[in-house]
Amino acid sequence: MFARMIRGTLFHQWKKMIMIAFTIALGASLATAMLSVVLDVGDKVNQELKTYGANITVVPKEASVLNNLYEVEGGENVGTYLREDELGKIKTIFWAFNIVDFAPFINAQATLDDGSTVSVVGSWFNHHMDLPTGEQLDAGMSSLRSWWEIKDGKWIDEQTTEKEEVAMIGSALAEKLGVAAGDTVHITGTASDVNLEIVGVFEAGGIEDDQIFAPLNTAQALDNLDGKIDSIEVSALTTPDNELAQRAAKDPKSLTIAQYETWYCTAYVSSICYQIQEVITDSVASAVRQVADSEGAILEKTQLLMLLITILSLVGSALGICNLVTASVMERSGEIGLMKAIGAQNGAVTGLVLSEISITAIIGGAFGFLAGFGFAQIIGHTVFGSAITMRLMVIPIVAVLVILVTLAGSIPAIRMLLRLQPAEVLHGR
Amino acid sequence: MSKRKMYFHMIITSLIRRRSRMVVALLAIAIGAAILSGLVTIYYDVPRQMGAQFRNYGANMIFTPTSDTFTLEDMEQGLSQISTGELVGATPYRYETVRIHEQPIMAAGTHMEDAKKTSPYWLVEGEWPQATHEILLGNNVAENLRLKTGDVITVSFTPEEKNEDDTDNMIDFTVTGTVSTGGSEEDYVYMELTDLEELTGTGGSVDLAEISISAASEQLTSYMEKINENTPAVSARLVKRVTASETTVLSKLQALVLLVTVIVLALTMICVATTMTAVVTERRKEIGLRKALGASDGSIIKEFMGEGMMLGGLGGIIGAFVGFAFAQTVSVHVFSSSISFRPLLVPVTIIVSIAITAIACLMPIRSATTVDPALVLKGE
Repeated sequence: MFARMIRGTLFHQWKKMIMIAFTIALGASLATAMLSVVLDVGDKVNQELKTYGANITVVPKEASVLNNLYEVEGGENVGTYLREDELGKIKTIFWAFNIVDFAPFINAQATLDDGSTVSVVGSWFNHHMDLPTGEQLDAGMSSLRSWWEIKDGKWIDEQTTEKEEVAMIGSALAEKLGVAAGDTVHITGTASDVNLEIVGVFEAGGIEDDQIFAPLNTAQALDNLDGKIDSIEVSALTTPDNELAQRAAKDPKSLTIAQYETWYCTAYVSSICYQIQEVITDSVASAVRQVADSEGAILEKTQLLMLLITILSLVGSALGICNLVTASVMERSGEIGLMKAIGAQNGAVTGLVLSEISITAIIGGAFGFLAGFGFAQIIGHTVFGSAITMRLMVIPIVAVLVILVTLAGSIPAIRMLLRLQPAEVLHGR
Repeated sequence: MSKRKMYFHMIITSLIRRRSRMVVALLAIAIGAAILSGLVTIYYDVPRQMGAQFRNYGANMIFTPTSDTFTLEDMEQGLSQISTGELVGATPYRYETVRIHEQPIMAAGTHMEDAKKTSPYWLVEGEWPQATHEILLGNNVAENLRLKTGDVITVSFTPEEKNEDDTDNMIDFTVTGTVSTGGSEEDYVYMELTDLEELTGTGGSVDLAEISISAASEQLTSYMEKINENTPAVSARLVKRVTASETTVLSKLQALVLLVTVIVLALTMICVATTMTAVVTERRKEIGLRKALGASDGSIIKEFMGEGMMLGGLGGIIGAFVGFAFAQTVSVHVFSSSISFRPLLVPVTIIVSIAITAIACLMPIRSATTVDPALVLKGE
């Protein structure tokens, strides 16, 4: 009988029930979409912030001080080097998955045909690597220097061109030499000389505009520095620093074992630096504060902003659902009065109304969840050009929310109805 | 009682009599209106607020001299062309090679207060220099020379036109702290510009100025062109890395907030509409009764619409202010700065809520008026 009555309501009053289900679906879809976006927005914005370039630089232990001091006196680059064959190890650290990109750099001084010296930087552009773990990786500076404006020609594509004697040249230098993409320049290093074919002319807005960028091996050959590199720039997804991370950055040994493990297993920029130092021999990895700090601040603000918008829309949809449920329960006063008049217990009436509403809510919630997931994907693809990861925790949150809101909406209305005298209700007062 | 007076009397008594039901409807409209006004306010304010956050990346414009050096007056003249509201900070730098412990070190003379604004990412251990003859060491310099906060060091400078028997200029400085940035700044030492001028014995000129401006990239480009044209001693350049990346990220963020706003608004408005529809639908009996008493369809629609629109207007007014309060809370919590009130948004919110309630009421009323009163009253 109970089931028949519920079925009766659902089928005979389907218009009303569809309306409730529709409102619940809207609320649930809003909650799903916002929760999915807010849970993923950190990763997405982090990815976008990578356009600022590397947030970690790795240099040889002694070189940083020596090099700069010697440069002040105008001397030659003297110092130690990092090893090219260790580069792949960066992708084997604990937080390897968070390393988005990296590129090695070697600086060489070369002489042009007119006798002037020019700084030649060797690097990877989009270097393909097979890692010892069996993974494959494309790394290089074309994405680490996304703000470069290509004035002429294009980026060097290491994967399609076999030729090693290619180069990209800064716009200021290109203008001085009067060369464009397709021309060749002849440069002489301390060990060998080479004819470089210019593939692209770029404007960077810094000292790079006076430099030549060539593939790593080409630049190494100029000064006979095979297998050696000056520095590595690493771009990593990081968690904003907190007090623990700052203490650890100063001295990891000052932490207790539990703190050390928390720190090591969190993607703080300092712990990633520490892990890089562990795999690259005689290296110092340090955070580029300009990038790392700002990333943290922007990330935090964006997440907080989205969180507050989410709370607003959750509260909004909760109140909306609550409202409609209250209104729809209250308008059934006549029916409930009749049931009470023919002897229904309060408990039975409550159970009946709640079951009807719950079934509607579950159906509406399920549709809403699917729709909300769709909305999240629309946001992901339109704004970030990639899908929003679906998090399983969204499902229970939305389910609990829908149930709570539906109950909260119907219980006060039911209580009010139960207090009514059947005679009064039926009389129509 | 005139016809108009009667009309308002009917609407108002209907609203008051059916108090609880009307409160439900009003609440729904007010929530919708609050979300509309709150989100739109946030959407318009996000670029400004986020832009301020992006100034964490430091200077986005650099003044370099067209000849050898430029003076502080030249810098001021250049800066005067930037609107003061957008200028976050401007820091002059003068670089000289000095000797500390007989080691050649690059020293930068600057204004510390301005440097804090243009380079907010500097991590200073200890204190920034505040008094004269105080010095801030780059981390590498401090490590290399084994200096720490509180040490007193002698900084010496060899003037260019020096006679054989002249001694170097020497001043004792107190180390107030060390700065780490992860960049080349760690190899420099920083002191007040006046101290560096005292040490070198020459003054009045600087080598470089870092400017941090909170503006979009087109605006920056126009500033750059204006300064290059009007201030001959200074050549202004944009720091591409900062400006280009800021434009990309900021536009993505704005698109995100826009899309979220649109979706939330659309869903909320549908929610408001369904609530209104439900509220009107349950009054089919009343409509039937009126028709039976001889009311024309037009007058019924007019009266119900009047009620709905009144609710819409009231809800809109409440929502507009609640929404602003919400936006203000968000702004204070997220960006710790207040939001500017947009007067235009109040009428817009009210009009949109009235329109939405009107549309939401119209459909059920029309369907109710087309039905035969006898059928409605009988409850079929």
